[in-house]
Amino acid sequence: MQLQYFLVLAAALFCIGIFGLITSRNAVRVLMSIELMLNAVNLNLMAFSNYLDAQDIKGQVFTTFVIAIAAAEAAVGLAIVLAIYRNRDTVDMEQFNLLKW
Amino acid sequence: MDQFLLQSIWLVPCYALAGAVLSVLWFPSVTRLTGPRPSGYVNILTTFLAFLHGLLALPAVWNQPAQQFFFPWLNVANLDLTLPFEASALTVGATILITGLNLLAQVYAVGYLEMDWGWARFFALLALFEAGMCALVLCNSLFFSYMILEVLTLGTYLLVGLWFNQSLVVTGARDAFLTKRVGDLFLLMGVVALLPLAGTWNFTELAEWAQTADVNPTVITLVGLALIAGPMGKCAQFPLHLWLDEAMEGPLPSTILRNSVVVATGAWVLIKLEPVLALSPVVMAALVWIGGITAVGGSLIAIAQIDLKRTLSYLVSAYMGLVFIAVGAGQSEAALLLVLTHAVAIALLVMSVGSIIWNSITQDITQLGGLWSRRPVSGLAFLVGTAGLIALPPFGSFWALLKLADGLWTTQPWLVGLVLLVNGLTAFSLVRVFSRIFGGQPHPMAQRSPEIHWLMALPMAILLGVVLHVPIVLQAFSLLPAWADLNKDVALLLLWSSIFGCSLSAVVYLGSAIPKPVQFPWKPLQDLLSYDFYTAQIYRMSIVVGVDLISRITSWIDRYLVDGFVNLVGVATLFGGQGLKYSTSGQTQSYALTILVGAVLVGCLVMWSS
Repeated sequence: MQLQYFLVLAAALFCIGIFGLITSRNAVRVLMSIELMLNAVNLNLMAFSNYLDAQDIKGQVFTTFVIAIAAAEAAVGLAIVLAIYRNRDTVDMEQFNLLKW
Repeated sequence: MDQFLLQSIWLVPCYALAGAVLSVLWFPSVTRLTGPRPSGYVNILTTFLAFLHGLLALPAVWNQPAQQFFFPWLNVANLDLTLPFEASALTVGATILITGLNLLAQVYAVGYLEMDWGWARFFALLALFEAGMCALVLCNSLFFSYMILEVLTLGTYLLVGLWFNQSLVVTGARDAFLTKRVGDLFLLMGVVALLPLAGTWNFTELAEWAQTADVNPTVITLVGLALIAGPMGKCAQFPLHLWLDEAMEGPLPSTILRNSVVVATGAWVLIKLEPVLALSPVVMAALVWIGGITAVGGSLIAIAQIDLKRTLSYLVSAYMGLVFIAVGAGQSEAALLLVLTHAVAIALLVMSVGSIIWNSITQDITQLGGLWSRRPVSGLAFLVGTAGLIALPPFGSFWALLKLADGLWTTQPWLVGLVLLVNGLTAFSLVRVFSRIFGGQPHPMAQRSPEIHWLMALPMAILLGVVLHVPIVLQAFSLLPAWADLNKDVALLLLWSSIFGCSLSAVVYLGSAIPKPVQFPWKPLQDLLSYDFYTAQIYRMSIVVGVDLISRITSWIDRYLVDGFVNLVGVATLFGGQGLKYSTSGQTQSYALTILVGAVLVGCLVMWSS
């Protein structure tokens, strides 16, 4: 078990999250992809705090904050999606292009 | 008093300028109230003042060394442009000639332009000419001479184009301006190139410099050729001669001045530059050749013309050609003398011709005839003008031509033959015109042609007297050779050439043995002369076509290459904007991708650069 493996795993998870973020057509899945990316970040923080900063574990504190913020963000995000849905009757990301050219 | 008048000799051009400025008051609304005449009277008054001033100042400078006056004008860095005035017997005498002829021409114009409404413009322009020419003869600097010549070029344009609603007048004015500009442009090159060589533009200092100058022969040849190009245009020499012929479309009173003194402005500058030109034998040879070709060609063309004014215009070119020959042979005095005698004689001829044109229905000499009995004054003026212009002793030009031929006799004898030829041809040409107008039977077109009224007859009579008195004036100025020094061979030859030309012409045109109009046995030669050596056509086919082609090509390059490139930049930007706007898809996810790619790129950049 080495630091690098955790970092590679987190990076892979981040990439999957990016892929989901950019390609998903469903707005909820976009939000879910963002959660994935946040989790990848959390993994990084935990890994670094474990291997490099075992005394002060500042990373773990950050992780806590990130989880809290992620929860809040998901709440706000879902609320936005709901608000858009009420107006546009759809959650298809490709329909939300009012600012085209 | 005399000394004071001499000190203020610079006022002479100013009088005329003041007259020109005062004429501006007669703009159309004033003219409607007062008529156009007062503007003419004002100018006659100012010209008279200038004439009087010169006349009274002459005794002060008579037999005295030349006096110089300086007016600082521009002084920057190492360039000191001071306007030098020179008051000598010669320059003051020249202003008297100019203002005197202008005075007569203006009085003549009062009669000639009786029915014209453009008086203010006409008299103001005549005054401008007078001012320019007086300033030219008084100023002693090549640079300021050039500036004044340019002003005169503009004046020619305006004066020839006085009756601007006629198409021939418009083209005549344009051609006169452009032809002179071609000469002036070369002259400017010469003027500018001369300063680094000589270090001065002052004619007196130039003459001193030329005595000891040590310059590259090629350079001085090129500069000299450029310097004679300006006088070539001014004096209507081949190949820049066509404008004088076309300028005959202008009003006749201005032609009196143009043919007598305005063309001579070029000769004046040339004579002043003679020491510089003499540095290069090539330039002197060029002067002789240009003058020789013009003199012979011009006098031949004059014989073939049927327009009354044009018969005289080519003779002017021919006599200016003789002046060129005189300068080319290093005989400045003969050239000056020729300019003087030619000026008064040709002015009288133009006045006489003008009086015929004024109240005859036509100015075609084949349509006139038999006017001697009813136009004796005009006829007499024409005869005296003829006598003054050709070498007929004791009248004016005889002495000038004698001086010229005498000087050439030992150095370049073949040029004496040329002078004799030109003199004979001129005599032939003038007697031909006289015979066609005044001799023979009246043509139907010339039946109703009474003598002119006093306003035109008076200046003509005065000038007639002046022409007759030229020898006495020359004697007073001790310009006539003593009887013992007279080269009698040359004098006899000149006399015989005049008599031969006159009598041959009289036999042909007064006698009835040869049917009129005279047909030359060889038609192409007659056509060649009557169409002015086809110069107009040659110009049209060579220079006009060339300039037209070049301007078209330049226009095409400008429109399609230069403008095209700039327009391409604009169009490319437009298309770039149009194409790039599709990147703004409105989709949040594509923006996210863009940000990500950008961030990665920035990251890579930072990594590589560090």
